[in-house]
Amino acid sequence: MSKDRLLEVLERWEPVIGLEIHTELTSTRTKMFCGCEVAFGGEPNTRVCPVCLGMPGALPVPNQYAIEQTVLAGLATECTIAPHSLFHRKQYFYPDMPKDYQISQYDQPFCEDGQILVEVDGGGVAQRLDVADGTGVTPAEDGSYTARIGITRIHLEEDTGKMVHVGGSEGRLAGATKSLVDFNRAGTPLIELVSEPDIRTPEEARRFAQKLRLIWLSLGISDCSMEEGSMRVDGNISLRKRGTVEFGVKAEVKNMNSFKSLHDALVYEILRQAELLDSGGTVVQETRHWDVGAKRTSALRSKEAAHDYRYFPEPDMTPFEFSEEFIDGIRQRLPELPDAKKIRFMATWGLPVHDATVLTSDLEMAEFFEAAVTIGGAERAKPIANLMLNDLAAHLNAAGISVTASKVVPAMVDELVALVEEGTISGKQAKDVFTEMAETGDAPGAIVEIRGLKQVSDTGAIEAVVDRIIAENPDKVEGYRSGRTGLMGFFVGQVMREMGGQANPAVVNEVLGRRLSS
Amino acid sequence: MSTPIDLSTLDAPRIRAAIAAGEFTAREAAQAGLERIEALDGAVHAFNQVTPDLAFAAADRIDALVAGGAGADELPPLAGVPVAFKDNMNLIGTNTTCSSRILENYQSVYDCTAVARMLDAGAVPLGKLNMDEFAFGSSTENSAFGPTHNPWDTDRVPGGSSGGSAAAVSAGMAAITLGSDTGGSIRQPGALCGVVAMKPTYGRVSRYGCVAFASSLDQIGPFSKTVEETALALNAICGKDSMDATSVTRPAEDFTEGLNDGVKGMRIAIVRDMLEMEGVAPEVKASTLAMAEKYAAMGAEVGEVDLPSAQYGLSAYYIIGPAEASSNLARFDGIRYGHRVKDAEDVIDLYMRSRAEGFGPESIRRIMLGTYALSAGYYDAYYGQAQKARTIIIRDFERAFADYDVLLTPTTPTTAFKIGEKSADPLSMYLSDIYTIPVNLAGICGLSIPVGLGADSGLPIGLQLMGTHFAESTILRAARALEADLKFDTTPPVVRNLGA
Repeated sequence: MSKDRLLEVLERWEPVIGLEIHTELTSTRTKMFCGCEVAFGGEPNTRVCPVCLGMPGALPVPNQYAIEQTVLAGLATECTIAPHSLFHRKQYFYPDMPKDYQISQYDQPFCEDGQILVEVDGGGVAQRLDVADGTGVTPAEDGSYTARIGITRIHLEEDTGKMVHVGGSEGRLAGATKSLVDFNRAGTPLIELVSEPDIRTPEEARRFAQKLRLIWLSLGISDCSMEEGSMRVDGNISLRKRGTVEFGVKAEVKNMNSFKSLHDALVYEILRQAELLDSGGTVVQETRHWDVGAKRTSALRSKEAAHDYRYFPEPDMTPFEFSEEFIDGIRQRLPELPDAKKIRFMATWGLPVHDATVLTSDLEMAEFFEAAVTIGGAERAKPIANLMLNDLAAHLNAAGISVTASKVVPAMVDELVALVEEGTISGKQAKDVFTEMAETGDAPGAIVEIRGLKQVSDTGAIEAVVDRIIAENPDKVEGYRSGRTGLMGFFVGQVMREMGGQANPAVVNEVLGRRLSS
Repeated sequence: MSTPIDLSTLDAPRIRAAIAAGEFTAREAAQAGLERIEALDGAVHAFNQVTPDLAFAAADRIDALVAGGAGADELPPLAGVPVAFKDNMNLIGTNTTCSSRILENYQSVYDCTAVARMLDAGAVPLGKLNMDEFAFGSSTENSAFGPTHNPWDTDRVPGGSSGGSAAAVSAGMAAITLGSDTGGSIRQPGALCGVVAMKPTYGRVSRYGCVAFASSLDQIGPFSKTVEETALALNAICGKDSMDATSVTRPAEDFTEGLNDGVKGMRIAIVRDMLEMEGVAPEVKASTLAMAEKYAAMGAEVGEVDLPSAQYGLSAYYIIGPAEASSNLARFDGIRYGHRVKDAEDVIDLYMRSRAEGFGPESIRRIMLGTYALSAGYYDAYYGQAQKARTIIIRDFERAFADYDVLLTPTTPTTAFKIGEKSADPLSMYLSDIYTIPVNLAGICGLSIPVGLGADSGLPIGLQLMGTHFAESTILRAARALEADLKFDTTPPVVRNLGA
């Protein structure tokens, strides 16, 4: 419904979207400016100290590892690493912020001016009306395209604590009688990535965020859990008339706690803003909250609207000077990134672009695949990929688990592919074997053995059955021979049923063809 | 009732030696300090809090060492020495109030590094000392708990903001105290109370645990009656601290080494244009010139320099200081600790009224000044300009230190003024730090040493010795030479009148 409406709106209006993505560096053992442990949840106010509680006289000492992780993130997204940078204080009063200022970065962040490539296929293509002409957009033959999304900056800051409102509904402030603060999260190293307003569709926004998450996971800098809030996405969105250059008035959308929310909230905003503009109204610059239940955004009270953060250089620390040697040292730590891995999967294993893209979009699946083909060899790469992208993916999806949590291991997948390849079992049998091995964790060979699933390829045995079927159905034979070749399916079905589905279909076809035409 | 120990006649090395020799115990020395506080602090009000339990516990540890056979060589360097700390330094077992209503009931949850280092060196803590609220002031009149009185004339101010630290040493209530100096808050009260007072180079002493006023200017330093005690205190408190990112790593130094080597060949200059500034009392100016002559007589090469940018120091300081303070004091919001109104309607109301009730007028003035200076559209004109002035002042000092080892100015334009005399006029109060502020802006070290009583006022005059970054040993040596020559009697009337 809203999809058609969206396409209709997009004919006239072009969305301009930029994302701000906060990611906690959960890989650092300790907080940004003190020695407290970085972890999720736990008994409130147990991972705190004078520094992260903002006690009088306490001072911040920067976490060197967090800074290096930020530089690594910058290098992975093709940013320029600033040779000279520093922390600033961003000042505003809020109970979840112990010092009533946040140590952040302002005009001299660690990383600036990068980019990532975002592949968009499927329904998203239709939304990007200007694929061919769009700046930085490369269309592919299959209708998908790759968009280059600029990264304005990546900076490092400290996370705030968490407010818990008691007495109201669902922990919200409205109606609450008491507010509590948990400072366990306060001071967790947090990187903020700001994209250029290069994003044009909700689908692109979702793909961008997913790609970024994949890069961060490849680097191992964060667990990127949107559920636990270690990765948080905010969006700025405005509309402009197709063909014009000037930006419209933007709204900032917050509380998009999943990739689906990100997509849906942006769709909602596009429709909302278009309706306003179409009816001669104007968009108000404001922060809006995505309500996932009501599927709508609503304006937050504009108390924070005209904030003057009174940024000034953090005097408790000296500025940072990064030498070429330091930056090169971090560069050495870069792992293989998703784009490079995809290209390698295509070149080394001969996978088509689609398979390579999907397999490398999940680090564990990619690793699983590599382990399986390392056992089975390049010639089995495609069937292994097929099995993973169909049976395995469906199983994981249904069970709601990741591949490392499943009972299926790479050697089992390779063995199953080999059984089909050798003709021991049919493709159809393989599906049953897969289901059983995913349930039990038993090796496919053992399952075939125990269940007596071996495929019959013995021509003599098949001929005997074929002859009996032909003898029992003279009218059908007559029909076939008089040109109703569609009856072949009937014969194959009869033979397979007779043989308990274990006959080799290729042999059955061959024998039937021979006998019926003679 | 009185014990035979008169701490005002004993310096730290003699106290330690006497304890080591068994002449008296550390507990007796602590008792003597507490009795002196009992006798004099009603008139002086140097202390916000007296800590007999902490004192006796520390003293007993020293006495146990002595009882265990530790001799003079084994005892820690400040063993048994009664000390006290400005009330902006955290010490577990005490309240750290910053002389403010907003922190009146705040109990320290950790120890300030400098305080811990003094205690590790064997010092015995007698209590926490009065100050201008959050160190905003030059007279200690801005304390929420009432002013401290100058032991030389209890109708007069002791200077500030570390007025309690200066007065406690002057009145013999502690041998060594620590204060903090953002624009002169150690040296100025040191001068007004006639004691030795030093602000070390920025980064020498960890600021961890000292409630921040202006982070880029604050530095902890000692007060004592002798230069040697100041050197001993520096030995204890200096050095890199992993809890303060602005503390610096330096090779270990013994500041008592070469203390008595004299000034022969040392290059010492009067800062002529600063001496000629308006508002300097004739007795102060005359005394500074006389000290330069003394140095020449002792064999130093004495000359004159100008620091033309120093006149901008006060203006720059009153932008940078309040700007950083407005940020540092934001955390006193009534949420986690400190004063909180009981009947707040919402969080904004809670912030506004808790802070309005908790902060005194000078704190509110500085917070407003600093907030304004950092506001959008004003940053470049104020904070940005002030930082530029700061850079120029640093260059001026670099030029001067290319030719000279020590620079001389008065510590303050006048001797101690009357309580209430300047409190209605913040600007005239601010001017009393005109000589000390450039040292903080440049991050160099400075020391005030008493050089006599004013011919007109009859009150102590301080001479400021300035050295370049990390040149503490040089100015200590120059100060020691003058001290040995002058033999100034640091005993104030309030002590003499005890009839001891």
